[in-house]
Amino acid sequence: MAKEGDMSLFNDVLEPFRRVINTDPPKDKLSSATKLNFSDSNQSLKEGLNNLLSLGKRKSSVCMNDVCTPEKRVRSESSSTPASAPPSPWEAKRLKIDLIAAKAQITKLESRINHQHTIRKEMQILFEEEKGSLIEQHKRDERALSDMEDRLQLIRRREQELKDEFSQYLKEHKEQKANWDREKAELHKQIADMKDKLLECSVSSKDQLSEMKKDMDELLQALEGAQSEVEILKGEVAKQTTRAEQCTTLRTQLEKQTFELQSVTNKLKELEYERDSYKDWQQQAKTAQKRLSNMAELEKEVNRLRSQERSLRDAVCNKLLLEEQVHQLQSRVDVLQPVQNELHEAKVKLATLESALEEWKSAARTHGVDSARSLSSALDSALNSQLNATAASSQAQSQLAQLTEEVATIKFERDKATGKLNELQVVRKNQESLIHRLQKRLLLVTRERDSYRQQLDCYEKELTVSLCGEGGAGSAALLAARVDQLERALQAYRDLLAQHDTPAHTALVETLRAESSKWREEAENLKRDVAKLRAQRDTLHANLERIGAQSQTKVLHLANNPAAEAQKQIQLDLEAAQEEIKRLKASLREGSGSRACPEEMQQLKQQLESSRIKLKRLKEEFTSSAQEYRDVCYMLLGYKIDRTGHKNYRISNMYAESSEEYLTFTLDDDGIEMVHTDYSSTLGELVELHLHQHRSIPLFLSALTMELFTRTTMQQVQ
Amino acid sequence: MSQQQTKNCITLRGSAQIICEYLKFAINSVLFQRGLYPPETFKAEQQYGITLLISEDAQIKNFLTNLLTQSEEWIINKKVSKLSLIIINVANKEVLECWDFNVQYEDGDVALSKEKNETVGSKDLKKIQQEIRDVMLQVAATISYLPFLDCRCSFDVLVHAKTDCDIPDKWAEAKPVEIANAQNVQLKTFSTSLHKMETVVSYKLVD
Repeated sequence: MAKEGDMSLFNDVLEPFRRVINTDPPKDKLSSATKLNFSDSNQSLKEGLNNLLSLGKRKSSVCMNDVCTPEKRVRSESSSTPASAPPSPWEAKRLKIDLIAAKAQITKLESRINHQHTIRKEMQILFEEEKGSLIEQHKRDERALSDMEDRLQLIRRREQELKDEFSQYLKEHKEQKANWDREKAELHKQIADMKDKLLECSVSSKDQLSEMKKDMDELLQALEGAQSEVEILKGEVAKQTTRAEQCTTLRTQLEKQTFELQSVTNKLKELEYERDSYKDWQQQAKTAQKRLSNMAELEKEVNRLRSQERSLRDAVCNKLLLEEQVHQLQSRVDVLQPVQNELHEAKVKLATLESALEEWKSAARTHGVDSARSLSSALDSALNSQLNATAASSQAQSQLAQLTEEVATIKFERDKATGKLNELQVVRKNQESLIHRLQKRLLLVTRERDSYRQQLDCYEKELTVSLCGEGGAGSAALLAARVDQLERALQAYRDLLAQHDTPAHTALVETLRAESSKWREEAENLKRDVAKLRAQRDTLHANLERIGAQSQTKVLHLANNPAAEAQKQIQLDLEAAQEEIKRLKASLREGSGSRACPEEMQQLKQQLESSRIKLKRLKEEFTSSAQEYRDVCYMLLGYKIDRTGHKNYRISNMYAESSEEYLTFTLDDDGIEMVHTDYSSTLGELVELHLHQHRSIPLFLSALTMELFTRTTMQQVQ
Repeated sequence: MSQQQTKNCITLRGSAQIICEYLKFAINSVLFQRGLYPPETFKAEQQYGITLLISEDAQIKNFLTNLLTQSEEWIINKKVSKLSLIIINVANKEVLECWDFNVQYEDGDVALSKEKNETVGSKDLKKIQQEIRDVMLQVAATISYLPFLDCRCSFDVLVHAKTDCDIPDKWAEAKPVEIANAQNVQLKTFSTSLHKMETVVSYKLVD
């Protein structure tokens, strides 16, 4: 079938080519005809010039030419033999043209042939290629066929096995069927027996039923009887209840009676008790009567005792009186005792006074005074003298005060004097300056005088010269007048000088000087004194202050002053700082940081704990999820994947016969590669097909799964 | 009569009040000038025609009112001879400065006193205030020559009272202070005609 199909396909492919080949020659003819036609038309064009009228005829001739090609061949044959008859020039030309055209056609045809050749070659190549591929496919198909045959064999084998199994099962089935039939027969028998039994039973039951019905009727009758009995009994019960009520009433009555009885017995007992007591009383009465007989004696005794008591009472009264008296006397004695003491003292005093008086008297006698009056007068005089003395002393004191006042006034005066001294000093200074000024003026004046004198001498000289030289009367008079004038001025100066240079004036100045020097000295002395006094005063002041501070005044201040508060504050600060230092030192000693902040430590510990728990949970979660993932992978893909080491994975199939059957893969940079194992060497076929040819691990693995599955199922079937 | 009314009349109590007012301003001024407390705790106030600074610190205020009310009583009764404001180094209790306010008692206007039957003065209030202003200006000027206080300081006021004076509640006796190598500067004095106030500052002379 395939070959037939192939052939048909082949024909289909070749068909167009065939068509092309078939159609090509007529086309060629047609084209040549058209060409011929074309040349004819050309020719006709050329001829048209000559004969326009015969155009239609020409055309028809052309058509004729078109139809009868053999004629042309004949003509060409005729043209190929030109030597037979000498051609005309036009014919020759035309032949030539034909030849050329034929040649062209030949070349064209040749090229076409060449072209056809190339096409054919290409076709051949194409066919060959197709053939190769088809062969390859054929091979592949064959291989597939062989695979399929293998498969078929396998399947047949399995089928055989299944058939065997089936036959086995059939046999078993038959046996079982036989068994079952036997059992069925037995059961049928049993059923029949049972049916018989049932029938018997039903008969017996019917008998029983009738019996029972009879019984039932009897029972019903009995029931009716019983019911009637019940009614009777009910009436009896009613009667009984009434009786019971009567009984209860009777009982209550009985109870009452018993209660009454008890009370009566109680009364009886009481009465008995009373009777007993009455007997006692009787006895007592007897004894009382006996006692009453003794009564008279007793009364006598009582009287006697009463008299005795009275006498005793009187005695007691007497005793109280006596006691009172004793008390009064004692108080008197107490009062009198200090008096007695005083008396003693007075006596002693009297004695001392008498002795003193004696002394006084002797003293008075020694002073010549005998009587008391003289003594008093003497005393008066003495007192007077004392008074005088006190007066004198007071006078003296007043004098002292006066003196102190005077001292003060003197001091004041001294101050005044010093003030005056100062004033005088100022005056003296003024005067000194005046004197100085006057002396200076004096010097000036004397110098002026000297200069005037010189001038005068000069003038005199000039005068003498001029008088000697010229001797003018007018000028001489003038000069004389001038001289006079000058002399007068000189005189005036001299007078002034005389007035100034008086010895009295100089004496006064001198006295003044002396006085000033004296005052000066005095001032110096006073100044020294003042300085001394000041120093003294300062020391005294200092002393006074010290004494005053110690004795006259006391220093007070507010208890809660800012200084004290500041002191307290600083003390507190200091203590706090020391405390802190101690604490810090202790903490330092105990270990830096460990107890510095226990809260932080606690927090960190808690964090650590929580993070540990979290990590643990995460691990658990991760392991569980990983396990789940692995399980899911195993269930879905049929392979358990174990990571045996770095980039090494071992996988074992779900349907593997033993745990020894595993494959190993390593992860490379390029991808994943299978590592040779004992088990993989047994799978040469699959490895060859899927890994070497298809280069697909998943395919290999699934093929392996398939194979293992089929094997296991087959084993199960067998 | 009208003449009497127009005439100034200062009673003993009024004079004591003037003295205590002066003491209050002088102590505050010293505290400010000597920098014992931060300047932002002081408030400016117009008094005696000049601007003076008064501490706003409640503790200081309380201390001064307690001190001056008692001091006024003592001044009226002539029990006090001197008040000393001492500035102490807190660290070693050393007295660095002592401002002595010496109080002297005067008779005032004798004639008017007889008339009024109580001790009175007749000095013009404006004049008194003028005098006090001069003293206050001097106090302010002391900063130019007093040594710089470069340690934590506090102050106290000691009252030099007479020995027969009772010690009231919250008061205690203190020791008299002494400044070694002291330099005294006498400031101007003023008088109310009943009391004469002499202000002296003594400070430790630094070599």
